[in-house]
Amino acid sequence: MSIIQIESLKKTYRETEVEVHAVNGIDLSFEAGEFAAIVGPSGSGKTTLLNLIGGLDSPTEGKIVINNTNISNLSASQIIDFRLWNIGFVFQAYNLIPVLTAKENVEFIMHLQGRKKQEREQRTKDLLTSVGLGNRLNSRPSQLSGGQQQRVAVARALASKPKFVLADEPTANLDSKSTENLLDIMEKLNREENITFIFSTHDARVVKKAHRVITIEDGKVVSDERK
Amino acid sequence: MANINLQMAWRNIWRNKLRSSVVIAAITVGLFGGLAASGIMKGMVMDMIDNALENTVSHIQIHDEHFIDNSEVVFLMKNSNILVQKINSEPEVEAVCERTKAFGMASTASKALGVMINGIEPDKEKKVTKIYTKLTDSLSSYFTTEKKNRILISQKLADKLNAKVKSKIILTFQDYDGNLTGASFKVEGIFKTQNAMFDEQNVFVRKKDLDRLLNMPANTSHEIAVLLKDYHKTPEVVDKLKKITSYHIEAWNKIDPYLELTTSLTGFMLLIFMTVILLALGFAIVNTMLMVILERTKELGMIMAIGMNKRKVFIMIMQETTLLTLTGGILGILVSIIFITYFGKAGIDISGVAQGIEALGYSSVMYPQLSLTDYLQVIVMVLLTGIISSIFPTIRAIKMKPAEAVRMD
Repeated sequence: MSIIQIESLKKTYRETEVEVHAVNGIDLSFEAGEFAAIVGPSGSGKTTLLNLIGGLDSPTEGKIVINNTNISNLSASQIIDFRLWNIGFVFQAYNLIPVLTAKENVEFIMHLQGRKKQEREQRTKDLLTSVGLGNRLNSRPSQLSGGQQQRVAVARALASKPKFVLADEPTANLDSKSTENLLDIMEKLNREENITFIFSTHDARVVKKAHRVITIEDGKVVSDERK
Repeated sequence: MANINLQMAWRNIWRNKLRSSVVIAAITVGLFGGLAASGIMKGMVMDMIDNALENTVSHIQIHDEHFIDNSEVVFLMKNSNILVQKINSEPEVEAVCERTKAFGMASTASKALGVMINGIEPDKEKKVTKIYTKLTDSLSSYFTTEKKNRILISQKLADKLNAKVKSKIILTFQDYDGNLTGASFKVEGIFKTQNAMFDEQNVFVRKKDLDRLLNMPANTSHEIAVLLKDYHKTPEVVDKLKKITSYHIEAWNKIDPYLELTTSLTGFMLLIFMTVILLALGFAIVNTMLMVILERTKELGMIMAIGMNKRKVFIMIMQETTLLTLTGGILGILVSIIFITYFGKAGIDISGVAQGIEALGYSSVMYPQLSLTDYLQVIVMVLLTGIISSIFPTIRAIKMKPAEAVRMD
């Protein structure tokens, strides 16, 4: 069954006199356990689409149903709570809280959820070990490489036990080795723990690994391929 | 949550060490300035009050009602010796003395001046007022001889009358029957208090000498002065004494309303001082926090995107602001406590720069002091400043749209 159902989604920005149709009528659905990439040139609307799915932005028309909840109907505070419990985020940069250690960054989201200390600590350790950072628990982001920081971000995104993880150009600032490494880890998590990943990217290395590639141009889906 | 939030707030403060240090230093110096100035002012005022109570006013005074308005010899209190005994038996009372008082003229060969002649019983007076500790030179003594007609005058009066120890001074006044009378007195001692006005207007002689010259009836006096063990109990004792006697009873703050006015004014000045200082600091704090939020737009956007709600963001920024303010506040208060405690004992001598301050009744050595309540009041004010200063920056923070904040370059 699909965990994300998108119907006739539109998002229009009004910049001075001109209307920009960033997302212009998209219908899509995602199943649990997908490893999907949304690709397209700059300005094609892939980030807007990702923001809409993540509830960071609200659509002008159409609806997004996640696990039977139409998120367009949620109030501002409900949507924040919804994000906290249902969606994991990995951003391009500035992903971690610089004053917290790797361990504290991962724990932070479970603090927000109000999970118990014991559970927090165990899960943090497990997650950081699974992204290969079991020995860097107490390092601050500034002491980690870009690739390591993104792996902490993946661990943090999973810490809240979300329904799926949204990653907005996660490899944009990484070298090939770190990209390879990050993708391997995400793929492994997807394969072994059935975690759903949806990326936006224009990185060919990511596209190669993805099991499904959705191409967007001018706010519309132009192709949707499954490998 | 509370724990990690506070940890985050503390670490965030030290992300920009220089900027936070400048703000903390500003708060520290500002608070120290305000507290030290208030402490010095309060010390001066309390010293003046102590002096006034010790040397002149005492805690409670009793007179015939008419004597208050018109200090004539006839308005005396009968059986005052019995009243003194009764007052003495009250547990709160430290000491009691009675006085005969007469307006008169003090004259020497060179000059004549109007003075209040105080007839005192030296042994009892010593327990109530401290004039005997204020003698200026080694030749002076405080009614040590039993010889008749000895007088104690102030340094100021001695200068004006061109008199010194062993000089003769003629006192002229009206007696109980309205006849003009007078006698020659020999200066036994010269004193100096911190109240120049009091010094200029008062001379002291033995009560029995003055009673005899005034023709006073036996066992009478014009004034009874009471010293309490604890002056805070003045109102209670006044109430008690009102049941014992129908004569007019006054507490120190009514005898000299200026004293009470000054006390309450000092408290008020501390409040004004601190409000102005903290208001100025508040603007600096708001400015700093706005910069902080601008710098952390992406980070805050990310935190909100992953699911931190507005209430928690609000609390996070407020904690950071308050912690920053409180750090400076506590440092400032600590420095002030050290300053005030040290100089409260050692004293600050300002006689070199503040001539004439004694003429106003203040001591030229200042002993700054502040009470625990004063400090607590300031801590609460600092805390409020922190919280109030955080409101504007926090509103800025929670208005951010996470989607835009995260992607901002």
